[in-house]
Amino acid sequence: MAEAATNTEKRLQTCAFCQARCADVHFCPACRRIQPLSAETDFFSFLGLPRRLRLNAAELEKSFYSLSRQFHPDYFMGASQAEQQASMERSSMLNDAYRALRGNVTRAQYLLSLEGYKEAEKKPPADLLEEVFELNMRVEELKTAKRIAVEGEIGEARSSLEEALSSLRARLAEIDQRLLALFEQWDDIFERGNAASEKKPVLDRMSELLSHRSYISNLVRDIREEL
Amino acid sequence: MPVIELGMSGRPKSGRVVGIDLGTTNSLVAFVGDNGPEVIRDESGNALVPSIVYYDHDEDRLLVGEEAGDRLITEPHKAIYSVKRFMGKGGADVQEDLNLVPFQIAPDSEQVIGFQMGDRVFTPPEISAFILRDLKRRASRFFGEEVSQAVITVPAYFNDAQRQATKDAGHLAGLEVLRIVNEPTAASLAYGIDKRDEAIVAVYDLGGGTFDISILKLKDGIFEVLATNGDTHLGGDDLDNRLITLLLEEAKSRTGESSAKDPAVFQAIRRAVIEAKHELSEAEVSFAVIDSGAERGASFERKITRDEFEGLIVDLVERTLGPCKQALKDADLDPGQIDEVVMVGGSTRIPLVRRRVKELFKREPHVELNPDEVVALGAAIQADVLAGGRRDLLLLDVTPLSLGIETMGGVVAKIINRNSTIPASASEMFTTWVDNQTGIDIHVLQGEREMVDDCRSLARFTLKGIPPQPAGLPRIEVKFLIDANGILTVSARDLRTAHEHSIEVKPSYGLTDEQIEKMLLDSFEFAEQDIRRRQLVEARNEATTVMHAAEKALAERAQGLIDENERAAISQALDDLRGAVGGEDHQLIREKIKALDDASHHLAEIIMDSAVLAALKDRKASEVAEG
Repeated sequence: MAEAATNTEKRLQTCAFCQARCADVHFCPACRRIQPLSAETDFFSFLGLPRRLRLNAAELEKSFYSLSRQFHPDYFMGASQAEQQASMERSSMLNDAYRALRGNVTRAQYLLSLEGYKEAEKKPPADLLEEVFELNMRVEELKTAKRIAVEGEIGEARSSLEEALSSLRARLAEIDQRLLALFEQWDDIFERGNAASEKKPVLDRMSELLSHRSYISNLVRDIREEL
Repeated sequence: MPVIELGMSGRPKSGRVVGIDLGTTNSLVAFVGDNGPEVIRDESGNALVPSIVYYDHDEDRLLVGEEAGDRLITEPHKAIYSVKRFMGKGGADVQEDLNLVPFQIAPDSEQVIGFQMGDRVFTPPEISAFILRDLKRRASRFFGEEVSQAVITVPAYFNDAQRQATKDAGHLAGLEVLRIVNEPTAASLAYGIDKRDEAIVAVYDLGGGTFDISILKLKDGIFEVLATNGDTHLGGDDLDNRLITLLLEEAKSRTGESSAKDPAVFQAIRRAVIEAKHELSEAEVSFAVIDSGAERGASFERKITRDEFEGLIVDLVERTLGPCKQALKDADLDPGQIDEVVMVGGSTRIPLVRRRVKELFKREPHVELNPDEVVALGAAIQADVLAGGRRDLLLLDVTPLSLGIETMGGVVAKIINRNSTIPASASEMFTTWVDNQTGIDIHVLQGEREMVDDCRSLARFTLKGIPPQPAGLPRIEVKFLIDANGILTVSARDLRTAHEHSIEVKPSYGLTDEQIEKMLLDSFEFAEQDIRRRQLVEARNEATTVMHAAEKALAERAQGLIDENERAAISQALDDLRGAVGGEDHQLIREKIKALDDASHHLAEIIMDSAVLAALKDRKASEVAEG
């Protein structure tokens, strides 16, 4: 095992083509060739970003475009098999990273997974349970009204669902606000040097918020479909 | 893999990469020259090759394009058109289509459709390969050197099997397919709306058989697809079918049941309504003139107004709007945020289509470029990028359909969502369920629905050679990668031993590598025949030139230079050659060309001498003048 680890390290430390020293770079500084991807790279380090949660969307896009121009398989058609492979690995990693990090929710989810959190089960916030119960009843009412095709009842059920929908949307907006506040807290902890004891409560809260959020957004989706 | 040199051997290999639009109705090839992208035309100036293949089993004769199309009415069972609709499909997928085309489907068409033509069976990739080979030859002739690398376009909404089938077709045609590019994206390259710093562009592409909508963000030369959607089963063919169904009914009432079932009548109606459809884009009224030949009986004229036509197709046009709205939603945009709308595909010439698109996006769509050529031009631009010609442009396309794997209870777990920028990848961890299990089966699907039965099965993989261990202990990481062509590759790694795992792939639809190898050999046989055909054409051409020269010499110059015997010998040789040209034997033609050469050799010499004398005389005169 130990031997395997050393080998891996060695492979990472030198260029795959010219054996010059080049740890953790996209291109070898000596021969300029694109380097194969190591299995350990995460999206943040791949993009050269610290593990902060607040990031500038315009700058992320800029770096996505600029790295795309460096990695894309289009530009490696005449290169060796190994370089083509490396270009494919780096550009798919880049695309995957951009997709995960560009949105607030997916970025938080990704950070949680890096910190060892499993994707939390979707569940409603405790104070929403009653409301959810009520909502399901109204959805059933609408379905029944549609089935027996009574115009008046359909209209009534519909407008009460519309109302519920806007309250759920307000709820989502509120969760997003709280998420942003947590982002700020996380970034502060990160700046100060990441004490594990400080990190955990913030990540726990974030995980819980995300679970609520995905529950509610699924609910919104279902209701919209029914409407 | 061996690439068959289809009769172009001896010519230098070219580093050129061409762009090919392999369309449902027409196909064409383009390249980037000094003056930008341009399509390659034949001797008579036509860029479009009708996507029709004719095969006569008895004569073992293969025709592609216009010539094949000419035989649709006379020999409907020997020609295949709209083959693109059958690419990457199994027998069960195409029942509906088969009601509307007179093709005979071979038995055993479950995984790949086979068209029965005489004793031979051709799959859609093979039929497409004949078309591609024709385009390849056209390009090779144009450049005077063999073209062997191409970019081929496909509808953006094509799934993995359809893309793979297209790539297979290229391979069978002796082309190295450097990239499969989505048609709407290619079109956006050709339009090159890069005059602005930044723009959101919607490309509405309604072709012969398929519909695509793609929404792109253009910024600093990067063409980033934000969302794509479509219907691979909606196009001009479907519009034609509405008219065909109507006129078939009328033919039936005019001439009885039997004529409606006659494929020749069907083709006559099809041709007439397509012409009428084209006219109705310009005129308010058109007449479909059905003429299936006197002996068939079904010859009549039918007036069609634009209103009637629009009434027949309005629901089909409406059906394109759903995917447009979905794409907008996926891109998180309102119609008002679209800066430009680009129209692609022949069916966008229809005024109703233009009207509805304009209403949806609230702006006048671009129709400046020829909608039949714009995709090929874009493919040529992408080909130029791949050939290293330019680095200022970059296409970032997406996968149109979500990729998932089957989990417990027939539910699909999505691992790569639709509209993810490609290349895209996802890794999943697998383990064993029982002790000492040495293989794991994985079922990969494409589609948006929850259940396996509602998605498109792509392939079943078996991870093999897992060392016997207690259940749950092995940790096999499987990496799914969708490459820049939108085609899936799968690799697996045992995380405990770091060994790469062998994977056995059973594609659910499509050809296996062995089948393709076999077809390559098959097409080699054809290549032999094709060489003979070309030799015949070349010999005939040369004969025509030689005969023309000899006739001219006899008529204008021979007077007084040769005697009657010699004149008779030349006339005889001319007649012999004329006779040979009427036959199919290129060697005989060559013989007779030589005979005519020999017979007229003396005359040619005399003419030459007198020409030299004349030239000398001229020269002396001019020397005198100079002196």
